[in-house]
Amino acid sequence: MKMIHLDQKKYAQVTASIGLGLAKAMIGILIGSSLITICWAGNLEAAQKLPTDLTELSLEELMNIEITSVSKKAQKLSDAAAAVFVITQEDIRRSGVTSIPEALRMVPGLQVARIDANKWAITSRGFNGRLANKLLVLIDGRSVYSPLYSGVFWEAQHTLLEDVDRIEVIRGPGATLWGANAVNGVINIMTKQAKETQGGMVATGTGTEERGFGSVRYGAKLADDTYYRAYAKYFNRDNGVDASGKEMADDWEVVSGGFRIDSQTSDNNSLTLQGDIYDGHAGGTYKFASLLAPFSQTFDDDTDISGANILARWKHDFSQSSDMALQLYYDRTEHNEALVEEDRDTFDTDFQHRFALSNQQEIIWGLGYRLTCDDINNSFNTSLEPDSRDDHLFSAFVQDNITLVKNRLRLTLGSKFEHNDYTGFEIQPNGRLLWTPDERHSVWASVSRAVRTPSRIEHDGHYNYEVIAPFTPDNPTPMPALVTLAGDRDFDSEELIAYELGYHVQATSRLYVDIATFYNVYDNIRTVEPGTPFLEISPTSAHIVQPTVADNKMDGETYGVELMVDWRALDWWRLQGAYTYLQMQLHTDEDSGDIYTLNLEGLSPHHQLSLRSSMDLPKELELDMWVRYVDNLPYQNVGSYFNLDLRLGWKPHKNLELSIVGQNLLDNHHPELLKSEGEMSLSSEVERSVYVKITCWF
Amino acid sequence: MSRKIIRLIFIIALCITVSSWPNAHADPPPSREYVIKAVFLYNFAKFVEWPAEAFPNRRAPLTLCILGKDPFGLALDSIKGKKVRGRKLVIQHLARIEDLEQCHILFISASEEIRLPQILSTIRGMSILTVSDMKRFVQHGGIINLVTIETKVRFEINVGVAHLAGLEISSKLLKLAKIVEDDKKRK
Repeated sequence: MKMIHLDQKKYAQVTASIGLGLAKAMIGILIGSSLITICWAGNLEAAQKLPTDLTELSLEELMNIEITSVSKKAQKLSDAAAAVFVITQEDIRRSGVTSIPEALRMVPGLQVARIDANKWAITSRGFNGRLANKLLVLIDGRSVYSPLYSGVFWEAQHTLLEDVDRIEVIRGPGATLWGANAVNGVINIMTKQAKETQGGMVATGTGTEERGFGSVRYGAKLADDTYYRAYAKYFNRDNGVDASGKEMADDWEVVSGGFRIDSQTSDNNSLTLQGDIYDGHAGGTYKFASLLAPFSQTFDDDTDISGANILARWKHDFSQSSDMALQLYYDRTEHNEALVEEDRDTFDTDFQHRFALSNQQEIIWGLGYRLTCDDINNSFNTSLEPDSRDDHLFSAFVQDNITLVKNRLRLTLGSKFEHNDYTGFEIQPNGRLLWTPDERHSVWASVSRAVRTPSRIEHDGHYNYEVIAPFTPDNPTPMPALVTLAGDRDFDSEELIAYELGYHVQATSRLYVDIATFYNVYDNIRTVEPGTPFLEISPTSAHIVQPTVADNKMDGETYGVELMVDWRALDWWRLQGAYTYLQMQLHTDEDSGDIYTLNLEGLSPHHQLSLRSSMDLPKELELDMWVRYVDNLPYQNVGSYFNLDLRLGWKPHKNLELSIVGQNLLDNHHPELLKSEGEMSLSSEVERSVYVKITCWF
Repeated sequence: MSRKIIRLIFIIALCITVSSWPNAHADPPPSREYVIKAVFLYNFAKFVEWPAEAFPNRRAPLTLCILGKDPFGLALDSIKGKKVRGRKLVIQHLARIEDLEQCHILFISASEEIRLPQILSTIRGMSILTVSDMKRFVQHGGIINLVTIETKVRFEINVGVAHLAGLEISSKLLKLAKIVEDDKKRK
């Protein structure tokens, strides 16, 4: 049975790679012919004016611009009563990053550790690992959080970076608006409106780790007030290396594409339709438990990742103080990794309404429903029972913004109510207070409760974790001991009560400082409890089984400080710094037999520092430097590291940009996070790399 | 093989197209309102003529002074250094009204509302274009006031005071403005 399984996989891989090969060739031809047309076509008609250069507008046009968006109230950063950091498109461009996880390294409070060339462990305020489960990630309102293991498969997210308008990172329990699983934060990736990406763009490059990448995007006007854009993107990334410098098998190659249409159908109605599709593979080296000596198997394998989504959003404004939004999306992902093959369909609908209850109170409330259906292919090592499941999630939220003192003191009270198919009802209340002594400073404080609901694997999963050889200290018996990990239907939600305090100030017109501190109290954190061992005779020779079961027998406290400074030192020189301090104290209950999970304390660095310098030099040159320091991970003996990224950009012409970027320059290669217990893919080290890129607009 | 195609494409070629590239600045974002008001200031500079004595020579810059608490912040970056009829627009932040000599445009922040009569009497006779966005600025003797009508920016002009200051306001600006008279008639 095992043999047939492998053949089917190989067949699928072969057809997928033919498809992939064809797609690659097509993208290549598309990019090639576009570049040739642009470059030899001589003077082309000017593309439509982009609206962001206001000084070019006539007085009449200027008088037509709305200074506040009539739809959802656009709050300035200083109005936020939470620890918010915004990564702008400019930040992304000047940092030279080629993926969203890498861009997240500049955010205070986030820990971004690269596990191998295509896998990341990203978390906010502790509890990191590839299966980090306390962070909610949304792309244009669509959740990319996987209910299979309550985390994000970062290797399957492929937004065209040039289309990203901004990434809002909110550390701390995501406001009531986002709901469960936003325990330690929400990452909201927002792409630009179609109106802002008009005309064409071609970008392409190559390097030592970036074997090759290219993207094409074109946007145009469909009708009055209706704009669209479409893009196609391809990249191929090289393997990482192991500690001795030997190449591993974690290369990564993806083709993706998508579109977006925005239409302002009337003065107070807007409609958006967008969709994406992607297909690719991400390699890795896996170590499986085996009942036959030497009791583990290590092999290289490619994970096939593909997916598609389509999303529609309708916004309607009733008046300046009242509006509503309705969103629907369908998302399909196929994730075929050595340990588990998952096909998932998600249907989600979301409604929000904002209105002024009185002069002092503004209410936002909403309803949501999500249906997620999966189909899992069980394997010898990982199985889920049932192997197919449809889960319904009903949610409602309400938030009241109360102005206690006009422009000075604002209280926000709210709660999210959810019903899920694992733990039933969950309530997440939240209270925030914002004090604005004057336009420049703000002080805020908040108390919130948040939950992380169980994942599919924690309820239905069964996993062969490892086999311990006979006659060894851990297993003195004459038979091999198979340690299994099982989910449990009684596994409960993890709980958090968070106390946060923050301050931000626009100290001078050139200096902005933001400090956030928090004290988090956790309960019911997942532990793995050993059960009574028993003898088993099938499928192969006799062996002992040491079962372990998921339970919630750990609690703990974490606290820390996050500091952000944005300083325009000179007209042409900007510095941005971020510092993160974190302490974790976890304790298992008295009746717990878990000795591993406490090690989570040692998987987060105590200190992290990021310093970015952007210089606009004469002759249209840009010199950007990014220094990072991450403290050591005591549990894995991963040393602390300093690293440096450098970017030199040149704009010889308004529509042409060349850049050369060096990444991780201070070390040949360095590890950031090793394989943890419970994970099957081996880690690789991050190598020093260089790439060049050309971007052309037309 | 497809990898070779990708590599072939990496040729450095010049694009000979003409179109503008947006200047994306945002961080921490100056409020949208002041980003737009800053551009209005630039437009006022374009459509007002100062008497020749206001500048020492043909290349002297046009100075925009901000008096009081600066509500613009980084929004001024989009107009700083721009050329207005051959002169560079420079920006100064004033701490006190004594430093007014160099100013051609004086933006009086709403923070100075109580001191407005003093400020205006100090500059009487000087060729300074006074602009603000405080209530009833033009009725009290200011020249241009930026007002927000239903989420859009409009402006009011007191032509009488402008004439007294020796300033010529282009008809392009006058036809889009709301013309207002002083509260008290001046002789």
